[in-house]
Amino acid sequence: MTVSALLRRAFGFAFVLLGLSVVIFVVARIVPGDPARIALGPLATREQVAQLRQEMGFDRPAIVQYVDYIGGVLRGSFGKSLLTNRPVSSDIAQALPATLELVLFTLVLIGVLAVPLGVLAARWHNSWIDNSSRLVSLLGVVTPGFVVAILLQLFASHFHFFPLTGRLSPDLGFVPDITGLALVDSLLKGRLDAFGDALRHIFLPGLALSAAGIGQIMRITRSSMLDIARRDHVETLRSFGVPGRVITLKYMLRLASIAPLTILGLEFASLIGNAFIVEMVFAWPGIASYGLRAILSKDFNAVMAVVLVSGLFFVVANLLVDLAVALIDPRLRVGAGAGR
Amino acid sequence: MSAANDALVPAAADELSNFARARRRFLGNPAAVIGVLIVISIIAAAVLAPHIAPYPNHAGSFVDFRSRHQAPTLLHLLGTDNVGRDILSRVLFGYRVSLLLVIGVLGIAVPLGVVLGLLAGYFGGRVDTAIMWLTNVMLAVPPLVMALAIAAVLTPNLVNSMIAVTAVWWTWHCRLVYRVVKSVVAEDFVEAARVAGASHLHILFREILPNCTAAISVKTTLDAGFVILFGASLSFLGLGVQPPTPDLGTMVSAGAQFLPEKWWEAVMPGLAVLYAILGFNLLGDGLRDMLDVEI
Amino acid sequence: MTAAPILEIKGLNVGFTGYGRTSQVLHDIDLTVETGQRAAIIGESGSGKTVTMKTVIGTLPHPAGRVMGGSVRFAGQELLTLGRREREKLKGTDISIVHQDPLASFNPVFTIGEHLDDVLRFADRRLGTASSAGDRRQRIEATLRQVQLKEPERVLRSYPFQLSGGMRQRVLIAMALMHRPKLLIADEPGTALDVTTQDEILRLLNQLVAEERLTLIMVTHNLAVVRQTADYVYVMQAGRIVEHGAVRDIFSAPRMPYTQRLLEAIPPLYGPRVERRQARGSEAVVRASEVVKRFVAPKRWLELAPPAVTAVQNANLTICRGDIFGIAGESGSGKTTVARMVMGLASPTSGRIEIDGKSVEAWRKDPAFRRRIQIVYQNPASSLNPKRTVAETLSVPLAFSGAIEKSRRPQRIRELLERVELPASFAERYPHQLSGGQKQRVAIARALAVEPEIIVLDEPTSALDVSVQKTVIDLLLRLREELGLTYIFISHDLSLMRNFCTRIAVMFRGEICEQGTTEEVFDSPRHPYTCALIASVPVLTDAEERAKPSVTLEERRAVLASTTQ
Repeated sequence: MTVSALLRRAFGFAFVLLGLSVVIFVVARIVPGDPARIALGPLATREQVAQLRQEMGFDRPAIVQYVDYIGGVLRGSFGKSLLTNRPVSSDIAQALPATLELVLFTLVLIGVLAVPLGVLAARWHNSWIDNSSRLVSLLGVVTPGFVVAILLQLFASHFHFFPLTGRLSPDLGFVPDITGLALVDSLLKGRLDAFGDALRHIFLPGLALSAAGIGQIMRITRSSMLDIARRDHVETLRSFGVPGRVITLKYMLRLASIAPLTILGLEFASLIGNAFIVEMVFAWPGIASYGLRAILSKDFNAVMAVVLVSGLFFVVANLLVDLAVALIDPRLRVGAGAGR
Repeated sequence: MSAANDALVPAAADELSNFARARRRFLGNPAAVIGVLIVISIIAAAVLAPHIAPYPNHAGSFVDFRSRHQAPTLLHLLGTDNVGRDILSRVLFGYRVSLLLVIGVLGIAVPLGVVLGLLAGYFGGRVDTAIMWLTNVMLAVPPLVMALAIAAVLTPNLVNSMIAVTAVWWTWHCRLVYRVVKSVVAEDFVEAARVAGASHLHILFREILPNCTAAISVKTTLDAGFVILFGASLSFLGLGVQPPTPDLGTMVSAGAQFLPEKWWEAVMPGLAVLYAILGFNLLGDGLRDMLDVEI
Repeated sequence: MTAAPILEIKGLNVGFTGYGRTSQVLHDIDLTVETGQRAAIIGESGSGKTVTMKTVIGTLPHPAGRVMGGSVRFAGQELLTLGRREREKLKGTDISIVHQDPLASFNPVFTIGEHLDDVLRFADRRLGTASSAGDRRQRIEATLRQVQLKEPERVLRSYPFQLSGGMRQRVLIAMALMHRPKLLIADEPGTALDVTTQDEILRLLNQLVAEERLTLIMVTHNLAVVRQTADYVYVMQAGRIVEHGAVRDIFSAPRMPYTQRLLEAIPPLYGPRVERRQARGSEAVVRASEVVKRFVAPKRWLELAPPAVTAVQNANLTICRGDIFGIAGESGSGKTTVARMVMGLASPTSGRIEIDGKSVEAWRKDPAFRRRIQIVYQNPASSLNPKRTVAETLSVPLAFSGAIEKSRRPQRIRELLERVELPASFAERYPHQLSGGQKQRVAIARALAVEPEIIVLDEPTSALDVSVQKTVIDLLLRLREELGLTYIFISHDLSLMRNFCTRIAVMFRGEICEQGTTEEVFDSPRHPYTCALIASVPVLTDAEERAKPSVTLEERRAVLASTTQ
C-alpha cells in the first residue's frame, strides 16, 4: 500500500465517519419526535420542554441543527451533557483513557494468547493440543460477554486476589496524569505498587473483554495456518529440506498473520460493543460506562458523542490494520501490478 | 488448490452423490450432530413451554416470597429468583422470546442484506459505491452501541428490540453476499447467460443467488445464536424486553444483583443463553464443513 | 555398468487415507534410472506421476499418504526405511526437484533471495558445512547466472510477483541446481508458461543436463516434451506403469492404445494435415478495420492517471462464411479481446467491426444479433453454473430467444444433447456429475441452442486432458459440416490450429502480425514472431523438428524483446 493508497483509505474512513454522524443524528434527533420531551420525561411541564428545546436548538430546522452540530464537533465541542451538566467533550476526555487502556490490554491478551495457540493447534493438527485449543476457542466464541464477566466476578469474589470493580484502589493516591494509562504512568513514575494494583484491576475486565476475540483469532490463525500448509510454496521448501520450524514460524506465520489481523479490524466494533457490558459489570470508569448512563438517561448529546468516538476507534483501528497488512504483504506495497 | 494437489485426491467416492457425501460428512461430525440436537431441544422448549414448564404460571408476574432465592433443588432444578419464581420455567419461556426475536430479525435482515448485496455486487458502479458505503458506515459503529442508541430512542419492548437489532444486522449479510457475488460474477457462466440473452433478473436470482445460498444459510444459522446473544445483551443492559416478560438477558441482570451468594439466579439464565449460542454455532460450523463454504 | 542404478523403484504401492478409508493410487510401480540417464514419466492428471515423485523425494502428504509396500532405492540405499535425519540430508542436495507452478512455488511475502538463502543455508547445515552469508550469496548469484538470469542482485531483491513467469521458473531451476544433485526431477517445468517461454526453459534444462552431466527424470503430460528432453520413457495411467521403453521405440511403435492416444493428441506440425478442410466461400461475414482497444484503469484520487494499456492495435481482419478462423497468440496478446469485440461484449476504442456489413455497435441493440454469434469458453468448470442442471442451463437461451414455446423445450433439449453426442438422460445432471469433456459438450450445446451462424471458440480444448481434446475437436468439425457454422478459434496451440483452421491470424502484443490461409502461415511465415512461435512448438518427430523455421536463440530473443507499442 503506497502512501497515496493509505491516504485514500483514510479519506474513505473520514467519509464513513461523516455518514455515521448523519445516521446517528437522524436516530437521536429526528426519530424520537421531540428529544426534549424524551429527555425531560413525561412529568415535565410544557414550559420546561419548550425552554429546553430552545436551549438545545431543537426548534430549528434539522439541517441547520446538523450543520451546527458538525461545526461544533470539528471544533471539539459535543455540546452540553444533560446528565452531568458539563461539556460532553470534557466528560469524554476524562473517560477515554480508561477505555483505551482496557482495549489495548485486551488486544495484548488476544495477541499473546490466541496467535500462539492457533499456531500450535495447526502445527499439531488433530492432536490433543489442537482439540483442547479448539474447545477453548469455541467456548470463547459462544459464551456471552455478560456470562464471562459474571463468572469472572464469582471467581474473584471467591479468591479475593482480584478486585471486583474499579480501576485503581483509591487509597493508593495514584493519579495517572501523564498518558492517562495507569499501567504506563505507574511505570513512568516508578510506582511499582500502583502498577501491580492497576494490573490486578484490569486483569479480569481485560480477560472478559478478550474472551470472544481470543476464540475468534485462535480459530482464524489455526485455519489460516492449515490453509497455507497446503500451498505449493510450503511443499517447495519442504522438498528442499528446510526445517519444519523455520517453515512454520518464519514462512507460514508471516503469511498467516494477515487473516487474523484483518478479522481483528472487522471485529473491533463488536469488541467496543462488548466493552459496554464489561465496563458496566466491573464498574470500569470508561466511555462505555458513560455512554450507557447517557443512553439510559436519554442524554442525546452524550450518546452521539459516544457513538462517534466508538466509530473513531473502529476507523483508527482499521487504518492501523491496513498499515500492518501492507507492511507484511509486499504486493500491497511495492512494484507494478500490485493491487487489491 | 493447485493441479499438483488435485492429482493427489483419490479418485474414489465419485459414485456418491454430493448430497450423500455431504450428509455423511455432517453425520460423521459429532459436534454438528450435537448442534442439531441442541437446536431441536431449544425449539421444542420454546414451542412446548406452556406444556413442559414445571410452573407455567411463573412466566408472568407471579410472586411467592416464601420460596424466593432457593438454590437448585429437585423441586426447582435451576433454583428460584428473588420473588420465588422457578428459573427453569422462566428460561423455557425465555427461549420463546429469544426465538421470536431471531425470526423477526433474520426474517427481515437476511432478505434485505441479501438483495442489497446482490445489487451492489452485480451492478457495480454507483449502486455498488452507495450501498457499500452505507454498509461500511453501519459496520463502523459497534452493533451493540448502535442498537443501544436506537433502543434508547424507542420504548423498550420486543418489537423495538427487533427493529434495533435488524437495523444493524442486515449489513453483515449484505457484505457476505457482496463478497460471494463479486467472485461469482467473475465466472464465465454469468457472461454465458448474458450472451444467451438472459435478463438481469434471471441472472441475479437464478444464476447468482443459488451460488450464494450455501454461504447465506451457514451465516444465518450462526447468526441465530448471535441474535439471541444480542437481544440478551440489550436486555441485560436494561434496554430490551421489559419485565415481567421472561427474557434471558433481563433475568441475568436481575440475578446479578444477588451475586455472589445467589449465583444461580444470574448464572443459570446466562448458561441458557450460552447453550443456545453453542447449539446454533455447532450447527452452523457443521453446515459450513458440509457445504464447504467460507464465511 | 556394475554400480547400482541411481534410482530403483520396485513394486511400489501407495495409498491415500481420507474419510476413514484408504484408496490405492500407485500400483506396483517398477522404475529404474541409471546414472546419467534422461528418463521421463508421462501421464495425464491423476495418473500418479506426481505421487511417484513425491514418494522419491519424501514429501508425501502426512499423514494421508501411505506407502503400502515396495522399495525405493537411491544409489543402492533404501529410502523408505531410511531414518528421518538421513532422509532430510538428501533433500535438495543429492535429490532435487524443479517445481511446476512458478508463482505458487514461492511464498508471496518473502523475497526470492530469502527463499534461496534459506534453502542453501539449511542444506549446508545438514551436510555439516556451515557457510557465511557472503559465501552463500556468491554461490547463489553464480547459480542464477548459470540459468541465464541477468542481474542476479535485482532478482534476489525482488518479490516473486515482480518477476515474469519465465524468470521465476529459472529461479526454481537454480534452486534445484545449487548442490549439483545426483538426481534431478523436473515436474512439468514451463507447463504453465507460454510456448516460447516453455521452449526456452526446456532448452535451458537440456543444456544444463548436458553440461553438468545430470541424471534427469522429466515428469510431463506432453509426449513432445518427452522427445525433446528424454531418452527413456515410462507411460503411466491410473496409478500403473502401462508401458516403458526407449523414447525412439515407444514413439515409432507404441504397444498400448493409451500411448497411441497420447501420440494422436499432438497433431503433426508438418506433413499431411489430419483434417484437410477448406473455406467454402469468400463471402465476408466479419470484417474488422483499424480496430483499437485501450483499457484505461479508472484514475484514483491522489494518484497520477494510470497509463492506458493498448490491448489491440490497428487490427484488420476478414472472416469469411464457413471459415475456421484461428487467432493465435500467447497470453496477453489481445486475441480474446478481439473476439469479445466481435461478439459485442466489448466496444472498440476506435475502428469499426462489421458483421454482414452492419457495425456491431448498431447490431447490439438488436436481440437477433445475440442469436447469430455465440461463444464456447475455455474452462467448462467456470462456464457452467454448478447449481443448475444441464436442462436448466440449456433452457436459458431457449427461453430468452422466445423462438420455442415452453412445451417444446424438453424436446429441443433432447435434440441438442443428441447433437453433441450426449445421452438424453444427462439433462437432469449437474455439472459436477460430468467429466470435463462432457461439460464442454454441454457448453457447445448451449451455444448451438439459438442456432447461431458464428461461434467463438475460446481455447475450447486447453482445459481438457489430451486424450479428450481430439474427441471435442472432432465434434466441432462435424457440427460445422452439418450446420454450416463459422468458427472463430482462439488458441495458443499451433499444431492444433494447423490441423483445424482454414485461416489464421497471429497476434503479438496487440497487433496482428501475420494473417493468411493456414498453409501460407505455416509453410512460409513472414513475420519473425511467427517464425519464433512455430519454432517453439514441441513436436513428435525429428523430421518435424528439422522442418521448423530455423530461429537462433539471439533472433528469438530479439523478437521477444522488441516492443511494438
